[in-house]
Amino acid sequence: MNDHLLSIVVAAPSLAAFLLFLIPNRLRLLVRLTTLAGAVVSLVAAIQIASLYERTAGTFQLAERYPFVPQLGIDLSFAVDGWGVALLLLTGLITVAGVLASWRLAHREKEFFIILLVLVSGVFGVFVAQDLFIFFLFYEIAVLPMYLLIGIWGSSHAVVEGGPLKYVWRYFDIGGREYAAMKLTLMLLAGSALILVGILAIYRAAGGTTFDLHALAAMHYDRSLQLWAFPLLWIGFGSLAGVFPFHTWSPDGHASAPTAVSMLHAGVLMKLGAFGVMRIGMMLLPEGARVWAPIMGCVAVINIVYGAFSATHQKDLKYIVAYSSVSHMGVVMLGAAALNVDAWNGAVFQMVAHGVMTGLLFALVGLVYERTHTRDLAKMGGLARVMPGVAAFFTIAGLSSLGLPGTAGFVAEFLVFIGAWKSANPWWAVAGVIGAFITAVYVLAAVRRIFWGPINDSHHLELLDANGTEWGALWMLGAAIIVVGFWPRLVTDFLDPTTTAHLHALLNAAGQP
Amino acid sequence: MMSTASWALMALFAPAAAALILAVVAPLRRRLIFSVGISLLGVITSLASAIMVVVGYAANLVPVELTVPWLTSAGRPFLDAGVHIDGISAPMLVVVAFVALCVQIFSIGYLDDEKAPSLGRYFAYQSLFLFSMQLLVLAPNLMQLFFGWEMVGATSYLLIGYWYAKPSAARAAVKAFWITKLADMGLLMGLILLVQNTGGFSWTAHLEPGIATAITLLLFVAVMGKSAQFPLHIWLPDAMEGPTPVSALLHAATMVAAGVFLVVRADPLFAQAPDTRMFMAYLGAGSALFAGLLALVQTDLKRVLAYSTCSQLGYMLAGIGAGSATAGFFHLTTHAFFKALLFLAAGAIIHAVGSNELSRMGGLAKKMPMTAFVFILGSLSLAGVPGLAGFFSKDLILETVVEQQLWLPAVALMLTAFLTALYMGRVILLAFFGPRVSEGHPHDPHFAMALPLLLLAIPSLAVGYFGHWIAGLSGNEYSFHITTTGIVASSLGLAGFGFSWVIWRKHPAEEPAPMRALAAFAKRAWVDNAYRFIYRRGLLLVASWAAWVDRYIVDALINACGALFIGGAGRARRIQTGNVRDYLFAVSLGALCLTAWGLWR
Repeated sequence: MNDHLLSIVVAAPSLAAFLLFLIPNRLRLLVRLTTLAGAVVSLVAAIQIASLYERTAGTFQLAERYPFVPQLGIDLSFAVDGWGVALLLLTGLITVAGVLASWRLAHREKEFFIILLVLVSGVFGVFVAQDLFIFFLFYEIAVLPMYLLIGIWGSSHAVVEGGPLKYVWRYFDIGGREYAAMKLTLMLLAGSALILVGILAIYRAAGGTTFDLHALAAMHYDRSLQLWAFPLLWIGFGSLAGVFPFHTWSPDGHASAPTAVSMLHAGVLMKLGAFGVMRIGMMLLPEGARVWAPIMGCVAVINIVYGAFSATHQKDLKYIVAYSSVSHMGVVMLGAAALNVDAWNGAVFQMVAHGVMTGLLFALVGLVYERTHTRDLAKMGGLARVMPGVAAFFTIAGLSSLGLPGTAGFVAEFLVFIGAWKSANPWWAVAGVIGAFITAVYVLAAVRRIFWGPINDSHHLELLDANGTEWGALWMLGAAIIVVGFWPRLVTDFLDPTTTAHLHALLNAAGQP
Repeated sequence: MMSTASWALMALFAPAAAALILAVVAPLRRRLIFSVGISLLGVITSLASAIMVVVGYAANLVPVELTVPWLTSAGRPFLDAGVHIDGISAPMLVVVAFVALCVQIFSIGYLDDEKAPSLGRYFAYQSLFLFSMQLLVLAPNLMQLFFGWEMVGATSYLLIGYWYAKPSAARAAVKAFWITKLADMGLLMGLILLVQNTGGFSWTAHLEPGIATAITLLLFVAVMGKSAQFPLHIWLPDAMEGPTPVSALLHAATMVAAGVFLVVRADPLFAQAPDTRMFMAYLGAGSALFAGLLALVQTDLKRVLAYSTCSQLGYMLAGIGAGSATAGFFHLTTHAFFKALLFLAAGAIIHAVGSNELSRMGGLAKKMPMTAFVFILGSLSLAGVPGLAGFFSKDLILETVVEQQLWLPAVALMLTAFLTALYMGRVILLAFFGPRVSEGHPHDPHFAMALPLLLLAIPSLAVGYFGHWIAGLSGNEYSFHITTTGIVASSLGLAGFGFSWVIWRKHPAEEPAPMRALAAFAKRAWVDNAYRFIYRRGLLLVASWAAWVDRYIVDALINACGALFIGGAGRARRIQTGNVRDYLFAVSLGALCLTAWGLWR
């Protein structure tokens, strides 16, 4: 059993999806329970992996390998390092919470859950894949189902734009779910095309005999190849991580997506992008990474500050959370670009922290939207009176978002800013701190406008607080934020040895500047 | 027999446990008896343990530290968490727990018309606050101090916004958090600089002069925010929207004093930066005078006390800036007692009268003799009337400032001493004497509210005589002497009361012309408007630009790509006419071209 834990994590959701095919549509409870079982098995397996993983070593462990296409040197090869463990736990947590939060979905839920589970398998696969081809395969499995999930189960035009520019909106159907699904998929696929070129270039330069990540990492690639291939991987993966200016799929896509999909997409999928940049881009092409790092860092700073400012102006609740994701993913990329251990620890920590808090935020926004049927801030107000639990969890997630000590967000941001100050460009840290302040501005303003003040709309007096399974989702994620915030070593003990080893290898290969 | 460190942990975690239980177990939170009981149990345990800590520490005066590695990065124990007990944290621990206990007992009476679930929330916040504050006080390094610092900021936000349905309270809570968060960016940057230059977060680190000035200035920005110093003071008067017991605990006695506590704590760092200290002395004295002037013209009882708090915090900072952390800390201690007393007494008045406005009060001395007595006692202590607690600590600050020959701050502080007596005299005369204004039957509070007043009255009276003991805990000497400075300051204080008697003796009192001019000046709210301008015309404007650029430039480019592609495809589609003649023509043309190309080669 323990020898195949990684396969179990990856396969469990897909297996559940397969079982769903066999269950008739009308057995709705069974459909949900099967979905939940798939998610829970993955989460439990992830916890088991975490307990078996030897933390202090920081190496790849629990390896499994099955031949896949031997002629091309492709193996189905899995292993985890400390980063992988942390991200597996995150994915398991968000998946279970996402299923619990969409318990009351009423439209073609079997199909929804099948697609969702396949996507989750893809995500798990990316975090454990040790073969570049398999990595890319799982990456695509994780990205593509979004088109259906948003296009079919999404929502349209929650807040209608006025003014003369409304004709532009109508022409493109901006805010529509088909538009959002199409835009998200096409932009991410364009990114994938760039990644594919980069991957093939690396494969060819390495002799064209193996896709094994460790073998590829041991090679030395031409400086010129590294210099042109790295930006391909950076932009390609980065478009999924919301790197400016390829982030614009995120606000529209996350706003139109149904609750569980927003949770998974912002909570986990955006991390695939950042993980890809670090794990594939930077570690396979260290020299390229070192040369491009200053530009990466500057773009990340744009992400942080520009994303935060954009979020401040939004009227639609989901757009606020989506832009805040763009801003927070900037912190991850900033950490990656700073190229030191503190910053890298912070970057991966931020992936986890942002995953949990944005998962929680999207769950809550979905809850509020489902009850009030509006996402327009101007139409809300005073909701804390009727839904105190939702208000409390929203406040916790918001405080984590603005980096309050005692929440996961603080540790991540603090590590990244310390690392950024240590890098060649200390002003990045200053910009990051300013971004954290602007986050405080829009988060607190949003909490006040949604939950505080008098109730504007008499219909809102009859709204109900979260119920049954929704509480489960909220408590899981809320508790994770607080527990990790007070005892960050739950995460950093996994990250630190791995980060140290990875960064050591990278800097050795890149040659000190 | 438990060790001192264990008692400290108990003082820290008892309120944490109370907060956790109340937050997680909803049924307990919804029953008044449980929420009050659990919260009080937490604070009483904390107070008892804090007293044990002081007793344990006073026995041998050896600082105790107990830490665990809290965060590791790059293989090194990057940051420790734990408790540090010395002559500063031990007495502060008691002060915080004692005032918190008084405030929580008072709250039971003050908030008696609140619904039980809502009160459960209140007591959960109170316990959380106490935990955060003790975390800050016991911090073994500046990072944990920052941790507690931000958490008290968050609980302050929650408690100011306790009546969240009231728009003014909601706005005040957000404003308080924004302003302090803005200031805290300085602390965060200061800590980042500190860890880069010393590799740790210790307050005893040795720094190069330039770096020391930079770091301490950054820290001081946060102090200005937390301790409401000009120009970051604007959140404190608005914070009075919260329940009065909250104002007493957070916005008078303990949380706002955390700024001063930080400076006392990091005194070894500040000692390496004389420029910062000079700035602190001038700014503190200036703030003291400025806030004292504003306190004079407020019509809201709580706002008078709020500005008075700004003013007294300025006093403390001026004293520390002049080089005597002991003086600042001593005043912090005495101020905590008498200002909490004043606020709670004000709460009793507000509870009885049903309004904050001074104009709705008057003649209350006969109806509420006990409240009037303790309020006047607190006022005399605040104004530095000889023999009361405030007198000793104020005197020490003034002596230090005069000794350092900081003449400008000294004059400002002397004037403030006069103003303090003047505005407190005004409040006393307007509220307690003269004819009755409001209808109803105000009366002295019942037991739950009276007990804390009496409990706080004792230290407000007596704690001044323990100055040498408090100083001795941190190994400093202090003994009281009668000096010219002291005589001048006390005379000014008495003169202030005299003046107030002359002006406001008659009801309804005609405000003198300078007061009217000052009130008109204060009404303009220059500082508030400056912030509003920066927020509306700066931050929000830039935000609207960013959002516009994102939608109509960055995103439009993406949409343009899509549109071009679709448009191009539309054109290309026309080649497929479905007309056999066209296809034959194209095939023949192709064949012709190929043949021509072949021949030409």
